Parts: sequence; structure tokens; C-alpha cells
Amino acid sequence: MTLVVGAWTIGLILSLLAFGVFISFRVFHFSDITVDGSITLGASVTAVLLVAGTNPVAASAAAFCAGLAAGATTGVLHTKFRINPLLAGILVMTALYSVNLHVMGKSNVPLLSTHTLASYVEGFTTPLLGGRATLDIVGWEVASPDVAALLLVLVVVALVAGVLYAFFRTNLGTAMRATGQNPQMSQALGVNVGNATIAGLALANGLVALSGSLLAQYQGFADVQMGIGMVVWGLASVIIGEALVGTQQLGLVIAGAVMGSVLFRLLVAAALRAGLDPNDLKLVTAAFVFVALILPELVRRRVRT
Amino acid sequence: MLEVSDIAKTFNAGMPHEVRALQGVSLTIEAGSFTVVIGGNGSGKSTLLNAVAGTVLVDRGSIRLDGRDITSWPEHRRAALIGRVFQNPFTGTAADMSIAENLALAARRGRRRGLGWALGGVFRRELRDRVRRLGMGLEDRLDNPIGTLSGGQRQALTLLMATWHPPRLLLLDEHTAALDPRSADQIVRLSEESIARERLTSLMVTHSMHQAASLGDRLIMMYRGRVIQDFRAAEKSRLRPDDLLARFEEVRRGEQLDEPAAELLRRAYV
Repeated sequence: MTLVVGAWTIGLILSLLAFGVFISFRVFHFSDITVDGSITLGASVTAVLLVAGTNPVAASAAAFCAGLAAGATTGVLHTKFRINPLLAGILVMTALYSVNLHVMGKSNVPLLSTHTLASYVEGFTTPLLGGRATLDIVGWEVASPDVAALLLVLVVVALVAGVLYAFFRTNLGTAMRATGQNPQMSQALGVNVGNATIAGLALANGLVALSGSLLAQYQGFADVQMGIGMVVWGLASVIIGEALVGTQQLGLVIAGAVMGSVLFRLLVAAALRAGLDPNDLKLVTAAFVFVALILPELVRRRVRT
Repeated sequence: MLEVSDIAKTFNAGMPHEVRALQGVSLTIEAGSFTVVIGGNGSGKSTLLNAVAGTVLVDRGSIRLDGRDITSWPEHRRAALIGRVFQNPFTGTAADMSIAENLALAARRGRRRGLGWALGGVFRRELRDRVRRLGMGLEDRLDNPIGTLSGGQRQALTLLMATWHPPRLLLLDEHTAALDPRSADQIVRLSEESIARERLTSLMVTHSMHQAASLGDRLIMMYRGRVIQDFRAAEKSRLRPDDLLARFEEVRRGEQLDEPAAELLRRAYV
């Protein structure tokens, strides 16, 4: 059961990553791989601040802001200097590797003895749970810190999803969605397409960094390598989410990204338990995304013939 | 209202596929006039429109609109003054977004876009009224993706979007060229209505001789990046499509001579 709770928690944490990937890949049609760097950036900024004794909420907010800056940089490279989206992302991602090493001062920062968001929340939930060390959930015994972490992440994700949904329905958010769909029209309607793209990528990477921040606090360390392949992971979640909800409707797509992320994590946990070599994980993930990308076209061809 | 002075634009300058799209075009359009620009492929008529809209920036010359020099303004800034309908119905709308959302975007043209709801109650009521006036029965489908509509319906909505707040200048870029004849007539009628109702200063590009002869109060003919003829008021109202064809034929024959000779003839007779 601890394994399942853990998978749920990580799945929810990574749904923030999925939101970010959804914004850049789906809303802006921008293949942004800054993500691999910005998720680590969020983790390393948070880790260093926590070790220095900063309040966990402030450390998480700082991670979000660092992500904003990373995304905005990619946006500026693309819109102001006309660098191809993929290359702009690669440049920033590569640069971030060094930045992350500088932030942490080494390649790995452990958070085992520091106060994290999870331990912070435990302070509130422990009295609620009557101070018990374990909790009985339908016959399964679960450590109460694990439950606290899950509840915390659930609240954060629900909050972010709600804000995101509301934002995309404001005048500003609608303009940003239109920019991704039809830049020419948006321009003719007075939207500054360059700035809207920069803002969108900043928001996307801010969410990714927040995801990295929570991940570091949950797993108890930040590592310079932890971002590798994360963009594919996020994309897999978005694709599963789209398949689950089967519509383009904004609210459902956002909910789908959460479901996709959790489901994907559960699948991974099950596969690892069933004996999948962890070294093959990224290969399998990439293969999965490849299949998901070409499947609709294959099905269409089948139907036609 | 609109003053275009001696603008020029060359695409791919210095390369084998260099295109001199505009070669010194000057044009003054008075407030409230409906000017039609006609020309064949490569005449520069679309580039002229794009230059005014800010989609392309000119190499030389200046553009003033409503007393302001907009020559170096980016397109999104000019949008505060200019409403535009594109040739392709797909260009003027965001397909996956709803009719209401597309129009909400247009309702903020030239205004600040803040964190207010895009689809407020007041806006929705006005939207329903205005869409009903198009007479297409779209007022009950406001939350449907605009991509599910026909080209004619989308173009009617794009026209509504361009004129939601009366623009200082309305640009119509061959906006019926991609439609079937019936839809094209309908869009022409809607355009005329809204231009007359709001007394909009309008500039329309077309390659339909019929539209050129029947619409507007002034007709500009373009050829190879230059204005070759300018018919106004009374002269314009006597024009027939055949006259226009004959005029183009005349110019084309001139072109068959070598360049300097054609230039000489043009100076002498045009």
C-alpha cells in the first residue's frame, strides 16, 4: 500500500510537470525541452534554500520564480532572436545544467534532516490524525507522513489546476490560447504575439520547476541528473490524459493531465514491481510516446482502407 | 485619413528570386471612403494591404493613419486602429476556440487584456444580439468551436470581429475569394451593410472584375507594384467589368515590349 500511496503522490507531483508540458506543447505548439533543465532548477533552488533554513513555502515559491525566468529565457531566444523553438530549448536546457551545479555547489543535495513542505504539513496533520504513526486505510497500514504528503500534494495540484483553468478563461488567458492556435489572427487583433509566447513559456516552466521543487522535497534530495527525459515523461502524461478524456475542452484536458500523470506513474510502479529493469524505463517511456504519437494516424489509415 | 507616400518593398533583395512587390506607391484615402484595389497576381495589391496592416514593414516611404505616423509600428499596435478580414477563413479565426471566445478576443482589440473574464454576462448578451443580426442562426451555437462552421459563416464572423469596435480603417483582403458564389454574395452584402452603417473608411483588395466595378466609390488599379489607374466617384460609377478587362489587356500588351519601351509608353499614356 505504501507503494501505491507513493505512486499517487509522485504522479500528482508530476502532474504539475504535465501542466507545463501541456501549456508549451499543446497551447503554444512549442516543442519546449527547457523542461529537462527547469525541473532540476526548481529542485536545486528549493534544496539549497531549505538547507539554508528558508521556510518551505518560500523555497517552493522561489523555485516557481526560477522556472519563470528559465522559460522566459527560452521565449526571448525564440521570439527576439528568431532561434528555432527546439534549439532555443536545447540551449537553455544545456546552460541550466551548469546553472544547477552552481546553485547546488555539487551534483547532489540531500534533504533528509531538513524541514520540507511535507514535514511542515505534518505539523498540521499529526494532531488531526490523533498523533498516530500509522494509519489504517481500508485494512491497509500506511505511515501517516505518507498520507500527509499525499494530502498536501492533492491540495496543491487542485489549487494550481483551478487557477490555471480560471486563468485561461480570462481575457489575457484567452489571448494566450489564441496566440498558440493562430498567431496571424492574434496579431491582427492586437495581441503582442512575441510577449504572449514568452509569458506562456515562463508560466509553463514555472509550473515544471514547482513540480521539481515538490519532487525534491518528497524524495528528500535534489540531483543534477534528475531532469533527464522529464519532457517525454510529461508528454506521455498529457497524451494519456487526452486519450482518457477524449475532448479538447479546456477543463477536461487539465483534469486529464492529472489523471494521465497519476495513471502513468501507477503503470510504471506496477511495471517495475513486475520486474522491469529500471535502466529500461526511459527507453520504454520514449517508445510509448512514439507509439502514442503515430497511433492516431495509423488508425485513420486503417479506417480509410 | 490614410496617407501612403512613396512606399516600396522588395522581397529577397539581391537574390535570384527577388520580387519587387511595391515600387513607389502613393495613395491618400479620405475618411469614409470605400476604396477598391484591383490587380492580377504579383501586382502588389496584397503587399499594399499587408504594408498598411503592418504584416510587412516597408523598405522606404511612410504610412500615416488618422494623423499618426505608423510606418514603424508593429502589426499588433496598428490593430488598435485597423480591423482586418483575411482571404482565407481559417486565417481570421482560431478554429478550436468557440465562437464566443473568438469574438471576445476581437472585443479587446486595441484594449488592455487583463484578468477579467473573457466571457462576461454583459458581453454574452451583446454577442447574441449581434450574431443574430447576421441572420445565420449562429446565435444558438456560440459555444461551438468556430472550426465546425462553413467558410462563409466563419468569414461573416471574422467581419463581425473586425468591426466589433468600428476601426479607423477596415481592410478587406480578397475576403470572398475562397467562398462559393452564394456565400460570397452574402459576405459582400454584409460588408456593404456594416461599412454603410458605421461609415467605415475601407480598403478592399479583390481580383474580381465584377466586385471592382460594382463596389465602393473609388477604384485603384495596380500592376507590377505600381498604381496605374485611379478612378473616382462619377468616373468609377460608369465603369463596367469589360472596361476593366480592356484596360488590363492594354497594359499587358505594353509589357510585351521590352522594359524601357514599356516604361516610356506607360509614362506617356498612363
